[in-house]
Amino acid sequence: MKTLIIVSHPTVLESGSQQFLIQSLPDDEDITLHLLEETYPNGNIDVEKEQALLREHDRVLFQFPFYWYSSPPLLKKWQDEVLTEHFAFGYRGNRLQNKEFGLVLAIGLPEKEYQTGGREGFSISELTKPYQAMAKKTGMTYLKPLTIFQFSYMTEKQKKALLIDYQQYISLEQPISLKRREEWFIKQLTKTSKETLPGEHATFVIEEAIDKIEDNRLELDELRLHLDNYDDK
Amino acid sequence: MEDNQWLKAQLEQLESESQDYKQKALLQATVALLLEQEKREEQLQGELDGTLWSPGNWTV
Repeated sequence: MKTLIIVSHPTVLESGSQQFLIQSLPDDEDITLHLLEETYPNGNIDVEKEQALLREHDRVLFQFPFYWYSSPPLLKKWQDEVLTEHFAFGYRGNRLQNKEFGLVLAIGLPEKEYQTGGREGFSISELTKPYQAMAKKTGMTYLKPLTIFQFSYMTEKQKKALLIDYQQYISLEQPISLKRREEWFIKQLTKTSKETLPGEHATFVIEEAIDKIEDNRLELDELRLHLDNYDDK
Repeated sequence: MEDNQWLKAQLEQLESESQDYKQKALLQATVALLLEQEKREEQLQGELDGTLWSPGNWTV
């Protein structure tokens, strides 16, 4: 699966959260990172090139800071100019159909404010309706967004957890289930470099962890089987 | 259970010794995954116990 990440940020090189995400990208997945403001400093978008990029990918992500409940202006301009009739919608406009679409949002306030009674008063699901409508109109499957609240206040532990969530959001088959995540971990643990770990003991511990994940999965499947048996009665 | 504690402690130790940030994140998340599997197991076990004790399943 090929994923296109379209990043929009007026000063992406100075943004702590965007830089963190860019550095977090998995090394060996089929990913195209597309920095809009860096590619088009004058704002003149090459529509044909952008449409070709879209055609080549299966999952399209918009990644941006959530300014005034929307994206920075260049991404809106990109939408206006690239998602044209007969390409993205309308008569024979089916080029995006059956692709997946997701949002990676960096948000300045805490999650609890985005609900009725919170300071913002509306949920992220409500505020991102235009993107949901865009996905619907173009025939793309809308994925649950990856929301990053107050990146600069995150602890080191939270940042490391975010790194993994982000990697999975980019490449894991949807819907993301516990079983799919287990498979992802086994793959990652198998190929993780032993050079950055101390001694032979590290290899042993990692193999033990893989075995444990697999054993746990067998037990979970067995329990589920017992339960399904009772449900049938 | 003790076995798991040992494994988690070992993974945490590796995390602290790893020289690669992405690898540290992977090791930290592996511990979280093992905990999540344990929790899921507990929930399913609870559901199964509840089903076994349900009078609806007492028919002979």
